[in-house]
Amino acid sequence: MIIATGITKSYRQRGNLLGGRDVRALRGVDFAIGKGGAVTFIGESGCGKTTLGRIAAGLETYDSGEIVIDGVRMSSLRHRQRQAHFRRIQLIHQDPYSALNPTRTIQQTLDAPLALRARQTGRSKAWADNRAAELLTLVGIDPGYVLPRYPHQLSGGMRQRVVIARALTVDPEVLVADESVSMIDVSLRLGILALLKDLRERLGVSVLFITHDIATARYLGDDGELYVIYRGQVVERGATETVISAPVHPYTQSLLSAIPVLRGVERPGPERVEPTEALDESHADTGCLFARRCPFRTERCESELPLLGRDGDTTQEHACFHPRRRSVIPVEVTA
Amino acid sequence: MTESSSAPGVRVRDLTVVYKTPAGELPALAGVSLTLAPGTITGLVGESGSGKSTLAFSLLNAVQPPGRRSAGSVEIDGIGDVSQLAGDDLRRVRGRQVGYVFQAAQNSLNPLKTIGKQLLDLGRSHEVADLPALVRDARALLGRMGLDGGRVLDSYQHELSGGMRQRVGIMLALVLNAHLVVLDEPTTALDMITQATILRIVQEVHRERGLTTLIVTHDMGVAAEVTDSIAVMYGGRVVEHGPTTAVLGSPRHPYTQGLIRAIPRLSGDIAEARALPGRPPTLGTMPAQGCVFRERCPERREICDSVDPAPVAVGDRRVACHAVEPAPASARVRKECA
Repeated sequence: MIIATGITKSYRQRGNLLGGRDVRALRGVDFAIGKGGAVTFIGESGCGKTTLGRIAAGLETYDSGEIVIDGVRMSSLRHRQRQAHFRRIQLIHQDPYSALNPTRTIQQTLDAPLALRARQTGRSKAWADNRAAELLTLVGIDPGYVLPRYPHQLSGGMRQRVVIARALTVDPEVLVADESVSMIDVSLRLGILALLKDLRERLGVSVLFITHDIATARYLGDDGELYVIYRGQVVERGATETVISAPVHPYTQSLLSAIPVLRGVERPGPERVEPTEALDESHADTGCLFARRCPFRTERCESELPLLGRDGDTTQEHACFHPRRRSVIPVEVTA
Repeated sequence: MTESSSAPGVRVRDLTVVYKTPAGELPALAGVSLTLAPGTITGLVGESGSGKSTLAFSLLNAVQPPGRRSAGSVEIDGIGDVSQLAGDDLRRVRGRQVGYVFQAAQNSLNPLKTIGKQLLDLGRSHEVADLPALVRDARALLGRMGLDGGRVLDSYQHELSGGMRQRVGIMLALVLNAHLVVLDEPTTALDMITQATILRIVQEVHRERGLTTLIVTHDMGVAAEVTDSIAVMYGGRVVEHGPTTAVLGSPRHPYTQGLIRAIPRLSGDIAEARALPGRPPTLGTMPAQGCVFRERCPERREICDSVDPAPVAVGDRRVACHAVEPAPASARVRKECA
């Protein structure tokens, strides 16, 4: 169980003669993942979702806030102890082509973390060898074929499975999957998603899924939670199905409206919101962060910042002064 | 009507492109025929290794060694057979008549020169007499796509976002007034909202300037959004080609069916989405005879092992599959069978 509260992170951007400025990547984000849960972060590039994933995996520092893993406050620990806790949260890299060392066979790649694991748990070398084959079988590839080979001899889909197997060597409780399928061929993509779903169900591993392709979030499980992030703020949060079928924040609605319609099978949603493109708006910080792109903004939005919360008739939380359910996703055409 | 001001048609006939490998010459394209009707947007959809990029490069006769065209022709209205051109003739065709938009994510722009300088290079290499007019056209085009043209021309590529770079690519492909445009993965690595914007721009510019457009993509959704027709490629062959709504609504080739079923969607039962079993063939694993898709095909039958199905007309489209019943014998089909 991971609970994060009020995570903030700023980057210093190098500027011109007048000096740099701070870019606020995360503005006080809360999230929680339970055992075997599925949490998805969506948003445009630059919204902070990747930073959040890296912070969750312990690969990035944060400026303020607290992460609690199984009741232990990370800020109370020393570096080494903290590392041991964060080892239970493993990041699966976006690009399977660069995530594996090209000079090592898959056997060597898996051996190093397994040897560490064997030492930690007082097991033998034979256990480690067995475990490598076991893990590869678990992720759906033939160990006999894969183990002696180098990464360049494998297809993209296989490499991604090897990356997942490597993450599993340390028996993690959470997998952080950052755009893990965006570089995989379409016909194989669903296979990787099905594998993550399967790991959730069989091993009880939680999945933190970071993507801009909202449809794939549905596939991970209908009990999942969806977080919509805009400029470092969570603007809508709720059950995946609810947020997709009845979004209330105009930004969520723009994102969902931008998804291509499969003409011939679907027609555009009845209340589709024409998406407006990102502006360079890292400067203006008064009022709602989305106000300048929002078709429904009012005066209040320009002066006051709405905070994430729930009101009477919505099941999901949102950060909007004028929430309204709109049906924006494509509708299936029934012949 | 002059040649350069109307949308050209394109006819690729029996095109075979082979790559030299240690295992001999292997076909990346095996006798592909594809017609682009003038003024339409065609989507060329396929996975990596399907030959879609090789086919797109063939429109510019730009297949690089170790690749080699071994048979077939690429006829473009107003140019003739591109595959017979070479040297300066070929260079003039590229850019002037056929515009190519490279992937934004890849480094298709020179990082050391401003966009404006690269534009002038383009103008000089094509002997444009009136360079100020070229700059004006470029600025107008960028303005049309919602950018501040002056600012963009003074920028280096690293100062532009992915969506802006993609628009610069479109500008460079169109500024010499090409009427045949090839877009290679125009939205890969862009996020959803930028993708939607770029696709809208592609459609609008296509209409306003009267273009023939080919969009190469691995994403069926992208093709679904903007194209008039979709050609699905697999293992160096076009396995299905027809009107977009028909191909998506009632796909005939088992591969197309599988591909559409593999797209996770926002509505409907998500459990209906299914991955295709197996993996796409590479040059080395392509079967030497028979249907290239049979290993993954649910409709496989005996004939598939020995005979490579030829594309035949089925209603409003062409399909290459033994399991698909051809249309009631029309004159066209009979001619092909003969």
